[in-house]
Amino acid sequence: MSSAHTTAGRRLVILGVAASDCHVVANQLIAYALRGQGFEVVNLGACTPVEEFARAYREHPEAEAILIGSLNGHVHEDLRDLPEARRSGRIGCPVVVGGNLSVGSVKDPSAVSRLYDLGVDRIVEDPDDLPAVLDRLRATRAEVARVERSLVS
Amino acid sequence: MSPSAAAPGVLPGLRESAAYIAGLGKPTAAEVLAGARDDGRVALQPRCGVGGHAEMKALLLALEAEAGPDVLTLTIDSHTRLRRFDRAARTLATRPQDLNGYPLVSHGWRRGRELNEAVGAPLEIRHGSPDPRVLFDVAVAAGITSFEGGGISYNLPYSKDVPLSASLAAWEAVDRRCGALADLGVVVDRELFGTLTAVLVPPSISLAVSVLEAVLATRAGVKCLSVAYPQGGHLVQDVAALEAIEILARHHLPADVQVHPVLHEFMGVFPRQRGHAEDLILYGALVARLGGASKLITKTYEEAAGIPGTRANIDGLRLADRANSRLLDFLSVDRDRVREERGWILAEVAEIVEPVLERGRDPAAAIVEAFARGTLDIPFSASRFARSAIVPKRDAEGAIRYLSAGALPLSGTTLRRHHELLHGPDGPGTPPGSLLADLTRDINYFPNLFCEEPT
Repeated sequence: MSSAHTTAGRRLVILGVAASDCHVVANQLIAYALRGQGFEVVNLGACTPVEEFARAYREHPEAEAILIGSLNGHVHEDLRDLPEARRSGRIGCPVVVGGNLSVGSVKDPSAVSRLYDLGVDRIVEDPDDLPAVLDRLRATRAEVARVERSLVS
Repeated sequence: MSPSAAAPGVLPGLRESAAYIAGLGKPTAAEVLAGARDDGRVALQPRCGVGGHAEMKALLLALEAEAGPDVLTLTIDSHTRLRRFDRAARTLATRPQDLNGYPLVSHGWRRGRELNEAVGAPLEIRHGSPDPRVLFDVAVAAGITSFEGGGISYNLPYSKDVPLSASLAAWEAVDRRCGALADLGVVVDRELFGTLTAVLVPPSISLAVSVLEAVLATRAGVKCLSVAYPQGGHLVQDVAALEAIEILARHHLPADVQVHPVLHEFMGVFPRQRGHAEDLILYGALVARLGGASKLITKTYEEAAGIPGTRANIDGLRLADRANSRLLDFLSVDRDRVREERGWILAEVAEIVEPVLERGRDPAAAIVEAFARGTLDIPFSASRFARSAIVPKRDAEGAIRYLSAGALPLSGTTLRRHHELLHGPDGPGTPPGSLLADLTRDINYFPNLFCEEPT
């Protein structure tokens, strides 16, 4: 598995749980695991509104992603302000969401597409996939930057 | 229903609500709990809450008709819990099925009364509000006689930024209202949420927090307390913890206060396969019986998947009730081991709460200060107002011990016992694995026990 240890440079992610959600056990374990992989984790913890993620991004514009967990099924209402935050650039890095994404024991199949509509870049089912997902997002950004540079020059 | 009927409107006064409750023609939660205890059976209660009013009523009616629980629940949605009433109302108006509970404040007290009148069992509000004053007032106006929570237990696991002084003051206001209602002849059952973050909670942490909340509640006038303890998974430890509740109540609370031990069926990661989940549900119900609980909060075979459907909820209640069978009178537990474990739990609780309850100190202020210093603490706090320096770990038998007790004022004797139970008498018995791997394994204790594949 890839690890931030083996990649040059500092890698920072912003982590938190959606605004109406207090479930922090997985959040704390994910923070712990990512730190173990060499990531710097700004963990905003439970009950984090979009605005607070945006504030953290302003303080850490080098963040490679914002990782939002939601276990109470309220993620769509909780991310209601995300499109505006993306549009205005107050959140300028990829947004990754994972957890239990709709209410009830039978999952709403539209839950995922509604999240993409809100401006979420990736949905992760297993937190163990996060380092690989972050590597891919980073590679994509590097590639985009390279193409942009070549267009300018 | 006409739009005007849905408007919250002006709340009736306490006196009018007390008269309404007296005239409802159904027992209060406190009466039901006392009755179950006198009959020597464990009262049963599901969690249940959906966004829409008609759907909520249908859910309560179905549960009552098919499983006959002793107490029914209105589980409140997370927006309402955090006083995000506008969000709750907006979701209710657009996609009520997206709410993870019943937004009672948005529906209003008249609809609450309609639910209350639809069923024979008393209702309890289960939520997770650091500041529940608005919700409580609507609940009382709806004639609801049981209300879960407390200034510590509904703050630290449920919010990030609410200072303990604020939640303790809000809950004191609620408890004073309960006192005023008691003066009017209505005893509200106040259930304390010793379950906390529900994952690997050491029994002495759960009970210490409940003792402190119980002392505050009874000083404010509360006359009936349910003390909830979360099933950890180890029979002797869980029975000992349930038995400790009555002893702690006798020691710390006035004699005229009713106290009921309550067991929450396992609240952590549930097995996914139905048979395994049902084994765990029955096991929890047996623990409640053996520990002398007045009430059991049930789980369902859909626990691993999310909020259960009505059918699963009914089946969970019916299964738990099998543990009330008279045929099971032969069941027993090793009394000597329970007595020994109970003695240790009581000693730990005393070590934790006694410095806070020292004579002459304001207990609320002492609680705030102790959490700031870490001499009170809980694992996995959602709130930044607890340090979460406690690291729990299961011992070889599965009982929950302190791997690290943080800054808790536990005695050397207590700490040595935990160390020995985890590492053996001669230092680390097994080579220490990574903390993350150990915690993950302990959290997934039941799926692992049933050899379920990791997700």
